[in-house]
Amino acid sequence: MAETSEEVAVLVQRVVKDITNAFRRNPHIIDRCHMYPAASKPGLYHCMEREHRSSICKMRKNQQRRLLGRKELILSGTLNPIKDLHLGKLALTKFPKSPETWIHRRWVLQQLIQETSLPSFMTKGNLGTIPTERAQRLIQEEMEVCGEAAGRYPSNYNAWSHRIWVLQHLAKLDVKILLDELSSTKHWASMHVSDHSGFHYRQFLLKSLISQTVTDSSVMEQNPLRSEPALVLPKDEEAAVSTEEPRINLHHLLEEEVEFSTDLIDSYPGHETLWCHRRHIFYLQHHLNGSQLSQAMEVDGLNDSSKQGYSQETKRLKRTPAPDSLGLEMEHRFIDQILSTCRNVEQARFASAYRKWLVTLSQ
Amino acid sequence: MKLYSLSVLYKGEAKVVLLKAAYDVSSFSFFQRSSVQEFMTFTSQLIVERSSKGTRASVKEQDYLCHVYVRNDSLAGVVIADNEYPSRVAFTLLEKVLDEFSKQVDRIDWPVGSPATIHYPALDGHLSRYQNPREADPMTKVQAELDETKIILHNTMESLLERGEKLDDLVSKSEVLGTQSKAFYKTVSTQHLLPPGCSLQRAVAACCFWHSPL
Repeated sequence: MAETSEEVAVLVQRVVKDITNAFRRNPHIIDRCHMYPAASKPGLYHCMEREHRSSICKMRKNQQRRLLGRKELILSGTLNPIKDLHLGKLALTKFPKSPETWIHRRWVLQQLIQETSLPSFMTKGNLGTIPTERAQRLIQEEMEVCGEAAGRYPSNYNAWSHRIWVLQHLAKLDVKILLDELSSTKHWASMHVSDHSGFHYRQFLLKSLISQTVTDSSVMEQNPLRSEPALVLPKDEEAAVSTEEPRINLHHLLEEEVEFSTDLIDSYPGHETLWCHRRHIFYLQHHLNGSQLSQAMEVDGLNDSSKQGYSQETKRLKRTPAPDSLGLEMEHRFIDQILSTCRNVEQARFASAYRKWLVTLSQ
Repeated sequence: MKLYSLSVLYKGEAKVVLLKAAYDVSSFSFFQRSSVQEFMTFTSQLIVERSSKGTRASVKEQDYLCHVYVRNDSLAGVVIADNEYPSRVAFTLLEKVLDEFSKQVDRIDWPVGSPATIHYPALDGHLSRYQNPREADPMTKVQAELDETKIILHNTMESLLERGEKLDDLVSKSEVLGTQSKAFYKTVSTQHLLPPGCSLQRAVAACCFWHSPL
């Protein structure tokens, strides 16, 4: 069926008008909408919503044209981007994977950030930028949309990638948001133990927290001879406290994640995703210990050059064995325990593979 | 991880009787729910029919796992779960439910019962509570007395069928499936969206468009 761009535009406008009216009458429509195919016309879908018998959402099979139409409407100011996001949310209830929908969503979000007169970020002195309330609301909404889509389709890579994109581009990897996400997705992950994308998201959060924290401390390390570390505002210490800069103990976070992994592996034997996740966490710990050890050595060197001599602390650091050999030992004990008690064939296989991997790591 | 259905059945000499069932089909789209429910009943009955007394089995069908326990007294239970749900907890649930059922419902009512006549209201509550296996059964990690090596594993529904038996025939003969469900199954088969004699999982999935390509 040939369509001119005008026909598409007219159709889109009609759809938008229907949707706008529907939302005006009932903003909670989204919770009750289910999509189903229209028997009479292949490629058309109706939205089943009892109060609005007329088909509210006519979605043509040709997604590209439809999305292009919507972009045009947004750019011309006819369609409010927020309304478009609502429409997208609805589409995702039926097509939780749809790549075009996610891609379009990112385009809309970028429009929102760029064209608005309000800034997305506020600077807070030397502590960098934090997202405004408006941006926070947008971010929260996206987290919810991603969460729902993830629940609708197993290992929904597109939904989780979008979630990561939002954290990178809307939230700019704000530490508090990263920490919130880590704790709020924990329960979901424990109920979806073979959702690889869900666990990959946790790996991303931890990696980002490490990079965000280590960057800050390496800034500190670069200027050890200054009287005050670069991050603290000596003039306005009260302000520094009130901006809620969270103190992160990376080691503690990683240890908690290992405990979480142990708990899940014990409760739900035979899921490869959990073992993969454990490898990632162990590797992050291994890497973190390595980099912090080398930083400690640098401090030592600089102390030397300023003729402060060896402190007791730096002497101790040099003597302690590498922290990860202790970790390795614990891991081997964990594997032994699993192999001696598990009755699940797959679990035994994954445990053995993990052991082999650990051996290669220490070589 | 998810539980979709929990059923109590009686394995009679001539046929299998459904006594009580609880379903959670909330994850399926609205119009597919009744069909999905019917297919799950059909599957549960078929599995009990093809399982011997005094056995436990798990029948795998891609994303679904059907766990069955047929007791020596012919009382049987089937739980249909996804592949994340721990089977150990599923069998604990079945054991518990059948034990409770046998104490609350007279044996004499089993061979001739139906969901309408049998009084056993606890089933929905059990299904709902066991959706979170760790809350329902905190001792999951403790080794069950149950010897897991004795659980028969079937990799497909097909392995339950006899030589020459076709799922299509069983579907069309079934008393459990409504005309709409049967018609749907037939349409979907003939349109080559599913191969003839297809797996049950695809039949259920076809109802719910979960795995429909975009």
